[in-house]
Amino acid sequence: MIRAGDYHVVYDMHALTPRLNSFNVGPLVIKGSSCEPVNQTKSIVKTDPNSDEFLLIAVGNTQDTSAFNQLFTRFSKKIFAMGMKLTRNEQVAHDLVQEAMLTVWQKAPLYDLDRGTAQSWIFTLTRNRCFDMLRKQKRQPSTVSADDIWPVEGDGDAVFVNEERGSLEVEIAQIERFYADLPEAQQAVVKQIFVLDRTHEEAAKALQIPLGTLKSRLRLGVGKLRQLIGTK
Amino acid sequence: MMTNSANFHPSLQLLTEFSQGSLSVGMSVALSAHIELCRACREKSNGLESEAAKSWMQVSEKPKAPDFTSMISAIVEQPQTTELAPAANSNDNLVNKMHMLNHSVILPHVLARAASQGLVWKKLAGGINQAQVVLDNKTQCEFIYMTPGSQVPVHRHEGSEVTLVLDGSFSDELGHYKASDFMVRTKHNQHTPTSEEGCLCFSVLDSPLTFTKGLARLMNPFIQYKFRKAMAQRA
Repeated sequence: MIRAGDYHVVYDMHALTPRLNSFNVGPLVIKGSSCEPVNQTKSIVKTDPNSDEFLLIAVGNTQDTSAFNQLFTRFSKKIFAMGMKLTRNEQVAHDLVQEAMLTVWQKAPLYDLDRGTAQSWIFTLTRNRCFDMLRKQKRQPSTVSADDIWPVEGDGDAVFVNEERGSLEVEIAQIERFYADLPEAQQAVVKQIFVLDRTHEEAAKALQIPLGTLKSRLRLGVGKLRQLIGTK
Repeated sequence: MMTNSANFHPSLQLLTEFSQGSLSVGMSVALSAHIELCRACREKSNGLESEAAKSWMQVSEKPKAPDFTSMISAIVEQPQTTELAPAANSNDNLVNKMHMLNHSVILPHVLARAASQGLVWKKLAGGINQAQVVLDNKTQCEFIYMTPGSQVPVHRHEGSEVTLVLDGSFSDELGHYKASDFMVRTKHNQHTPTSEEGCLCFSVLDSPLTFTKGLARLMNPFIQYKFRKAMAQRA
């Protein structure tokens, strides 16, 4: 059912569900560029460019080294303190600062506000690196890693959506709801690709973000939608 | 994933230590598996994680902490990750199901990982089957399958024993336990587990008690000797 004003979704193997061919984006308003996380409930982040979240998103979006510098200043000594507390070994704690801050840099494109505060995100990431380093230090087996113990995608609740499979309309309405729940940055990217049918390059240009960032957001956004829809 | 409502849960203390990353690997694995099965503990654990992060930020920094800023330039030259799950391909040969006689049990992720190293089942007395997984050098971890009608001989432990029920049920003097229940037994709880319908569990036997104060510390080498001996006998 395609109504006036609907966008057509051109659908390929990687898209959300093969039966979806129209996608009403009427009520969806894409605000601002992806660099600004603009969610009403999270507006503090938007208004305060010095917040940890703002800095972390800048690192992820534009490889902003001065934002990274600020995060480094805020967190490196905390990381060292955690390392000392858990390992009681200065060298290991020192290495933890290196490993944890490197992971912050590398994984920053995967961070979004749905994952909680930047503080929590960096805490769990540091704890996990520390856990793995401690295991290595004590020459313990590498059967399971910290990322197995604290899996990032442990969102088992989403699977229940599977149970209420219904008509196409229901599914489309559901997808719209899920889409609306995506972080703004991912919404913007999904809209560019699946609604406006642009190429990755065109979309990156339109949103003024690096191609790599666009691809990672797209992967995150589509991954989350798929997971919610239950086609994963 | 299976989300059964458990009747027996880890203590707040244990969940707190788990979220801080200060438990042994074996114990952390047991907690992680329970949390995957128990929504209430999952939510609790998420809350504790944020609290731990907050108090982490409030810890006063040591004035003599070294300066790390020289690390920055090398870090920012590294490429950034765009993959959501970097370990995704290593999930391919994950053993996430355990096949029982007439059905199979889906394992929590972390136990699937632990089981993927390959399990060797041993038959013990009383209809008990045991397959050890080596997770660290502090705890003895094992899957235990109690065949229907089986009974574990009376025993007690030097340290504490954590049991997570994965399938079926068992009983002892203190209660009846079903899938996703998490129990801790200390050396004071002498018990005799029995299972009518059969039961698959994951169990972690922690290190023996160690005394940290006063003359009692002299006891430690003796206790550890007994623990090692007990482990050797069980193996």
